[in-house]
Amino acid sequence: MMSLFRRWSFLLLLFIAVLSILAPFSLSVSPNQEVAPPFSTPLWLKRNLPPTMKITLSENILKKNIAWPYNPPTQIHLSGEITLSVPSALVLETPTQKFVLHHLTVGKNTFDIDGRDLSFKQRLNFSPFAQIPSELFSEKGEYIFRVEPDFSAPPEMRGTITFDIKGGRWGLLGTDQRGRDIFSLFIAGIRVSLIVGISATLLASLLGLFFGLISGYAGGWTDTIIMRGVDILLSIPILPILMVLAAYWGKGLWQLVLILSLFSWMGTARTVRAMTLSLRDSSYIEGLRGLGAPTFYILWRHLLPETLPLLLANIALGVPGAILAEAGISFLGLSDPRIISWGRMLHEAHSFGAFTRGAWWMLLPPGLGITLLCLIFLDLGKFLEEQIDPQLKGALKQ
Amino acid sequence: MTEMKSYWWRRIAGSLLVLFVVLILNFFLFRLMPGDPVATMLDPRFSPEAKAELSKLYGLDKPLSFQFLLYLKQMITFNFGYSFLTGRTVWEELATRLPNTITLLGSALLLSAFLGTWLGIQAALKRGKWIEKIVLWSGAVSFSFPSFFVQLLLLLIFAYAIPLFPLRGSVSVPPPIGFWAQLTDHIWHLILPVGSLVLLGFGGWALYVRNLMVKVLSEDFILMGEARGLPEKHIVWNHAFRTLLPPLLTIFLLSLPGIISGAVITETVFSLHGVGRFLLEAITGQDYPSAGASFYLLALLTIFCNLAADLLYGIVDPRVRFERRGR
Repeated sequence: MMSLFRRWSFLLLLFIAVLSILAPFSLSVSPNQEVAPPFSTPLWLKRNLPPTMKITLSENILKKNIAWPYNPPTQIHLSGEITLSVPSALVLETPTQKFVLHHLTVGKNTFDIDGRDLSFKQRLNFSPFAQIPSELFSEKGEYIFRVEPDFSAPPEMRGTITFDIKGGRWGLLGTDQRGRDIFSLFIAGIRVSLIVGISATLLASLLGLFFGLISGYAGGWTDTIIMRGVDILLSIPILPILMVLAAYWGKGLWQLVLILSLFSWMGTARTVRAMTLSLRDSSYIEGLRGLGAPTFYILWRHLLPETLPLLLANIALGVPGAILAEAGISFLGLSDPRIISWGRMLHEAHSFGAFTRGAWWMLLPPGLGITLLCLIFLDLGKFLEEQIDPQLKGALKQ
Repeated sequence: MTEMKSYWWRRIAGSLLVLFVVLILNFFLFRLMPGDPVATMLDPRFSPEAKAELSKLYGLDKPLSFQFLLYLKQMITFNFGYSFLTGRTVWEELATRLPNTITLLGSALLLSAFLGTWLGIQAALKRGKWIEKIVLWSGAVSFSFPSFFVQLLLLLIFAYAIPLFPLRGSVSVPPPIGFWAQLTDHIWHLILPVGSLVLLGFGGWALYVRNLMVKVLSEDFILMGEARGLPEKHIVWNHAFRTLLPPLLTIFLLSLPGIISGAVITETVFSLHGVGRFLLEAITGQDYPSAGASFYLLALLTIFCNLAADLLYGIVDPRVRFERRGR
């Protein structure tokens, strides 16, 4: 079993699972939050495009320097709720000029100013048609954003002032059509793929085990009916049925798990049946029957443990199918829009204009995530198969 | 020839059984929805007169058994009622889309089967060469990559980054004038979808063919052929390849439902005018008659192809022909 811990797929799966569990505690932005303008590119791309940043002034920090080697941003926004001891001004110093953005009075100040506000433009002596962001950030260089007291007395301030500069770049993987952070969406999507993939396969395997054991052990009419049912289910297209059920019957995660497992137990049933058939007539089972052991006892204590290792490998090999099915249904837009999943991300990329903008960063992370998870489980399944049947290992090396 | 006939009859009976199960499933899929069956079958926006007429059409005021018989009759005569979304008959809607779906799947299937078979045989003949590596890799790719992701990537590369092909649709808007111009326009729109399906499909074929061929080539009758001095081409295609046909048909049969399901995804990704996307539109638009009819048509297509492959199986596998005589 030690070799499992050296297998790349197992280690990677462990890492991904831990990442998904720790994500809500460690990520600074929530996946449902609008953090930057829609379709922002990743930070490391297009270096002269302005990034989206948030500059805050608080009790101890009344001055911040902004290095700005970029083009002008697309939008700015100023907001705050503070209490001041002396009248002051909120100042932005550009490399050449000094702008007073807002006057602050003694006592409580609450303000919420957008770069598009007409009164704001008038106060700064710009025409009503001026583009404030490109007027303020017309040059590249060092900018200073600070609270400047009207008299020499140092101001005492409580509360925070937030200066939002909105540009075209954000974070590790950019933003989607609603301005949400792709990286945190990607991490949040792991959960759905893992939960649905593993639990749907587990449930399907249990169903397959149940039908396979009964079919193989009972034989006769029971066997014929179950196997005929398996044949029929295997020969009709399942995706349309899944689509109808997912759309009208249940959009939730657990309903999806149930729907998926109801239509994917057939392969396991066949395998288990074949094994049961070969075991049923073996001499030790016949001996047990001769001793008068009840059928349930034989099934539970002797046949089930024999089929278990094979079942385990089957589960691992079945997970990619369930992950792909979930992703497919979400990609078609039939999943709950509130549940973040990789398939849903691909759906949104496809239907909300990622293609007309070439927003590949909306497409690659979820797609590669699904592929990687599938490869991991395929490799785990292969590993388990090798453990059960060491001959396979030799065959692969040849 | 009587054995052959009884084989065919058994296959046809099996197909009819599957058809019956599909009909039952389709019936209950749309009637066991939560809520009032009348409400799910009738659009609430309809006028009371239209509602009365539709509930007569589907027999919604009669018991379930009567509804089922009425439904059976409608399905067999392809009389699916009216689409809630467009107001035209569902059959009219489907009739324009079915040829597109068959063209898409048929051409993709044929191309990937030919390419896969040829590559697989070449790989089996030239073991250890680059061609075998291509086959092994493409097989692995086709099993592990989600199809819609590969298709979206192709769309991004060959329709956005390098605008060689259209981003969406089955025909240009407005369509070109003249038969040949329309045909080339249609083919131009199909290249990317069909290409993606071939790219995803040929690897699996090639891998199967290669594995089967490697096994067959080590058998005695191949050695015998070589000893008789027959040319290699003759041995490979006339002796070895014939024995591959039955297992290949079996694999084709097993993959058929998946291929037809894939039509929904492919047509959605490339926004094609086909039955699969119509099914999705009908489901999301709560157009129950259209959704039911599309599912029925896709299942029918599967059953039909299944039967055709089964009958072909009887022809290519001599064991089926002589099943009774051998005993």
